[in-house]
Order: sequence, then structure tokens, then C-alpha cells
Amino acid sequence: MKSAADLKNGEKGIIVSVDENHPSARRILEVGFTPGQEIELITKSIFSDPIAYAVRGTLIAIRKNEAECIKLL
Amino acid sequence: MITEFTEKIPFITLLGPPNSGKTTLFNYLSGKNYKTVNYPGATVEYSIARILKKYNFEANLLDSPGIISLIPESLDEKVSINAIYNHPKYGIPDLVIITVDASQLSRHLLLVSQLIEAKFKILIALTMTDILNKKGLDVSINKLEKLIGCNVVRIDGRNGKGVDQLLRAAEENIQNAKTYGGYQPVMVDNMNNSSALIEVFKKIEEIEHNVIVPIKHGNNIDFNNANKQLNILNVDADKKLTHKLDSTSLRIDKILLHKVWGLAVFFIIMAGIFTSIFWLAAPIMNLVDDLFGYLASDAFSYLGNNWYGDFIANGIITGTGSVLVFVPQILILFLILGVLEDTGYLARGAMLIDKPLSKIGLNGRSFVPMLSGFACAIPAMLAARTIPNKRERLLTIFIIPLMSCSARLPVYALLIGFLFPASKAWLAGIILAAIYVFSTASSIVVASVINKFRSEFLIEKNNSSFILELPAYRKPKLSVVANNAYHSAKLYFKKAGPIIIGFSIVLWFLTYFPNSNPDIKTKGLNQDQVIQLQKSERLSGSYAAELGRGIQPLMKPLGLDWRVGVSLISAFTAREVFVSSLALIFKVTDNTQPLQNSIIDAMRKATIDGTNQRLFTTSTIIGLIIFFVFALQCLSTIAVSKKETGGWKIPMLQLIVFTSMAYVSTFIAVNGLRLLGLP
Repeated sequence: MKSAADLKNGEKGIIVSVDENHPSARRILEVGFTPGQEIELITKSIFSDPIAYAVRGTLIAIRKNEAECIKLL
Repeated sequence: MITEFTEKIPFITLLGPPNSGKTTLFNYLSGKNYKTVNYPGATVEYSIARILKKYNFEANLLDSPGIISLIPESLDEKVSINAIYNHPKYGIPDLVIITVDASQLSRHLLLVSQLIEAKFKILIALTMTDILNKKGLDVSINKLEKLIGCNVVRIDGRNGKGVDQLLRAAEENIQNAKTYGGYQPVMVDNMNNSSALIEVFKKIEEIEHNVIVPIKHGNNIDFNNANKQLNILNVDADKKLTHKLDSTSLRIDKILLHKVWGLAVFFIIMAGIFTSIFWLAAPIMNLVDDLFGYLASDAFSYLGNNWYGDFIANGIITGTGSVLVFVPQILILFLILGVLEDTGYLARGAMLIDKPLSKIGLNGRSFVPMLSGFACAIPAMLAARTIPNKRERLLTIFIIPLMSCSARLPVYALLIGFLFPASKAWLAGIILAAIYVFSTASSIVVASVINKFRSEFLIEKNNSSFILELPAYRKPKLSVVANNAYHSAKLYFKKAGPIIIGFSIVLWFLTYFPNSNPDIKTKGLNQDQVIQLQKSERLSGSYAAELGRGIQPLMKPLGLDWRVGVSLISAFTAREVFVSSLALIFKVTDNTQPLQNSIIDAMRKATIDGTNQRLFTTSTIIGLIIFFVFALQCLSTIAVSKKETGGWKIPMLQLIVFTSMAYVSTFIAVNGLRLLGLP
């Protein structure tokens, strides 16, 4: 299944679920990465990690392994 | 006016997600500002203030750390969230004022929902409506109040408009609550699972959709016109517009977050901060230094050449001077960091550097504390509180003493001055830069080694995470930044001051007694020289010298002797004391040239006690430089480390590890260089 980490620069995706087994899952949801939301990958840092996404009108950077638990449509 | 029902004045807690304008509001309300941090430690510090008199409303105001959610992530966070429910000193808040960014409703209303769920009495301060207005949208305050069930007051962070109205609403809310009896908040735990959280977000989205309206034209809402103008065709388009990112920020980020350019700009900014810490601060630091020098010598000549004159001048005044001399640097550092934070750049810097730092067990958020460490380890350790993961925070604190703090600068200046004549100043500059690179590299090595054995050193196990909002760029609010910098300097003075002054007094005692009245030949000497010679004689017969002779066997393998040992012990007050201590111990009485040159002259003549062998050679000077790179010779750092890590384990480890590293590498350097044929 495609995850947020698989997006390319400028590519958009719609969240279907956030893997609850990831230790950061709740924080990821709390900052606004919830199912149904459209997110856009804005930029990747050096070594492609962390990654900044546009979500709910703001820019949020998360680590790649955290982005991997955000599953997309 | 305070209601007659209150016996004590009301207690208000100010709460809000990061970047919601909470600090600015706190600044408006209290006038003074305390740096609040995004995560609490076991050493949670609260900022508490009285609401300014001009608002005519007497209340205590508590500024709590910026939080995203009421559900704690770690034990540390639990401490601070519990304090929102029931503050250990102030109890249950009479009212919680929560800042909500109007352009971030769909995220910031989460905390509001949780507060309501927890049955808090709340009042919303709606900030940054101007950002929403730029998109042609606005929040309908009436609808929001109705849907949320609490009062909402619009605040303009740029000019403080609405603050007065907010306080009138607060007063009214508190009065009503008193009339209807108190309330008891309950812990929210039913939002702990994902599906509940997702449900809450769904409700919030509905609220957002209902309260965001096109800007009114005149008194009537002209939907059609607005729709046409803004090209709003349906509900989805409306939502898209609300959630559209700030386009200017996006354009700036194209460069500042670029893999190559972003990193280049990052290093230029860091280098800029670095040089300004030194260049801007240097003249002010010299001024402070000179001022206390004059004060001390004036006090000494006024009180006379006796023990109390010496105590006041060299114990107390000099001690106070050695605390204050770092204040300019700390102020400048925090001013610059404050501006960077307020513009929104600091979060980006943390993002850029996160990956490399995570490789050695640190976090993107470690870089500000590490950078601060180049000014002074004390504010740096305090700044490490912004790292949510405890293990990463402890590791950051652990390596901070390796950052080349400014107290080492006078020492390096003297030692490099010994190696190179003044005509080769550029060479000295290169060596100094090399020392900085070397100390930074060592801190990286130490961090990665400790990270490998982390279970032995730092048992804290928790999830390493980096989730950070990169807020839209904006103009920094200088009054807030200046207030924060002022507070940081005050914090440094309060934490380090008593330790440095206290230790200066102990050290003064050790260097003054028991040989307080030495016999010296005064023939042919002027008064200044007599005093200087007396000082030197006194020192060589003092407890400190005895202590120094005690560590002579330790100094010998390094090619040094007890006199350097005494200076190294003295340097525990603050590293730069090493220089003045050397001056005393090598009986520098010449005051016709700058102190540093006189010391260097004296050092060149010095021989190891009882031999003809030169004490200071290229090898031993390089050895001493290396010693200062590693050794943890700062009592204030140890004290702050103990306080910030919640125990003696880490500061003791730091003391032992760094000081033995210093000793071993100095030993290797001195003897290795001698083997290579250097003097």
C-alpha cells in the first residue's frame, strides 16, 4: 500500500489510515494527519528525511519512518 | 473589579498549541515574558505573572508550555499536563484562556475539544484572523461561540487589539463560575485511541466548515459577490481555500528548504550567528571586564591592603564580574535565536539538520542547544528542554560541555599568543578556528560512542520522533524577542551567579590563607609592585598551592608542574580565571604592557620547579589547549546539569569522562609531540 513517504515532490494524496502500531501514531493523528485529509509533499530534507507535508493549511515536517505509517488511497 | 465572592485573586492558565500566538498574548497581559518551552522536563518551569495593572483586572496568570493535546506522550509531559489540571501551587485554574489560530481551526480546536471534554471553564482568544482575512475569509464569532459553547474574543497580536475585551470576558466568566459554584476538571482518557481521535477531528471539521465565512461587505454578507470574487463554487472549494498554504512562505521555502541551497543558507546563518556572538559581544564584554577591574582596584585602594580589602576586591567584585562578563554574549545569542524562532526559520533549521544528528543519537531540535553551547553551557542546557525525547535530551546535555564556550576564549588567546608572535595573527586565527572544529568534531564522536552504549549510560527508552510544524514566515515581534532574551540572561544570572560568586569566595580563601602576610623585600619596588609581589608570595604559600603540590604527581606526566595545577583548579570557577591565576602564580608584576604579554613573557622564562627545563614549550602549550577542549572545568555547568537531568549521575559522568579524556589526550599529545622532536 502506498504511504506518504512514497509521494514525490508536489504530489498529493488522500490519507486512508495511520498505522496504529507505530509509536508516533497518536501524535501524527493529533497534528492533523487524519483519514480523509488530502496532503501534499512539499519538500524533502537532505537524505530525503525528514519530509515536509502540507496538511490542514500548515506545513509539518515528520521523519520518513513516521511518514511511512501514513497510508494513502 | 474583583467580585466579593473571591477570597483570593483569580488564577488563570494560558494554554495553546505551538505557534498559536500564546507567547505574544502572554507578553501583552503580563508585560514581562518568560520563555516557555514546548515540552516540559522533570524540571518543568512555569512562568507566572500578575496581569498588568493597566487592564484593571487583578489575576494570576500562568503560562503553560505549548501543547498539541491534553494526552501526555511521555512521563515528562504528564507532569506538565497534570499541572494544568491541578497546579501544585495555584490549584485548579478559575479559567483557562486558550489561544487558537483562526487560520488553523481544524487543528487547534483539538485542544479546545479536549478542554471542554475535561470540563474546564474556557475562553478562546482567537488569533491571526488577519491571515485568514487575506484569503477573503473570516470566522463568524457568534457561530463559533454557539457551536463550541464558550466565549470567543478576537485578538490582534500585532497591536494588542482585543486584549482588553478578552479580560472583560475573562472577568465575567470567572464571576459566573463563582456564582454557580466551582467546578472540577476530569482527566480525558477516552480520546486516547485513534478512532475516538478521528471522530473528534470530524466534528471539528464540521465546526470549521460552519464558522468560516466569506468577508462581510458592509453590514450584509454578500455571498454571491464573494463567491464570484473568490471563485468559491462549492463547499469543497471553500475548504480548499481555508487550507491553502501561505504562498510567500512556500516560495521562500523553495530555497530555504532546498537540499543544497537550504543547507548552504543554513551554514551561512549559523556562521553568522557564531561570528556575531563573538564580534558584537567582544567590546561589551571588555567593557564589563574593565569596569569590574576598576571597581576592584578602587575598592582595594580604598579599603587598604588587608584581608577584607582583598576579600571585597578580589573575592566578591571580581567574582561578580566573572558572572556578568558573559551576559552580553547570552543576550546577543538569545536575541538572534529569538528573531530566528519568531520568523519561523528555527523550525526549518531543525528539519534540515535532523537526519545527520539522528545518526548520532541526537535530534534536529538538538542544534539550538548545541549552538548556544558555544556561548555558554548554562543557557544551552536550559535550551535542551525543547527536545521531547528524554534520551535525546540527556545526550544533548551530555555533550554540551564539549562545545567551545566563550570562557575558553581568553585561555586559548593566551596559549595561542604564546605559540605565535603577534605579527602572525592570521595564523593564530586559523589555529583558533581549528580548535573550534576539533571540539565540535569531538562532541560528535562522543555522542556517537555514547549512543552505541546508550543502555549503559542513559537507560531512558522511548520513541525517537521528529514531528514539527514549520509555521508560515512572518516578521518577528521585537518586543517579545527582547523580553525573552532579557529573561534568558536573568535566568543565567540566577542559576550560575550564586555558584560562580560562591566558588570565587572559596577560592579566594584558599589562595589568601594561611600565608596571608608574607615577608617580602620591598627595596626598590613601587607600591603596585609590592602588592603584586605580596600576592604572588601569598599564593605560593597558600592552601591552593598545597593542593596544587598535591596534584604535582598528576601534572608531571603532562610535562607540567604544580603551578599550572593550581591555575587549573582555579579555573573551576570559570575557565577564564586560568589566565589571571597564571598571572599571580608566575609573579607577573610588570604593568607596563598588556597583561597577556606580561604573562607570556613570564611563561617563557618559567622552568619546571627545581630544574632548568622549560615549563612551557610548544608541546606543553598544545597539551594545555587540548586539556581545555575536553575538561569539564566549570562548577556552574555541573550544577545546572544536575538540575536539568534530575540527578548526579549525568553531571558526575560528564566530570569523570571529560576530565579523564582531557588528561589522557593531553598526555598523549605532549609525549607524542616530544617523541616527534618538538620541544
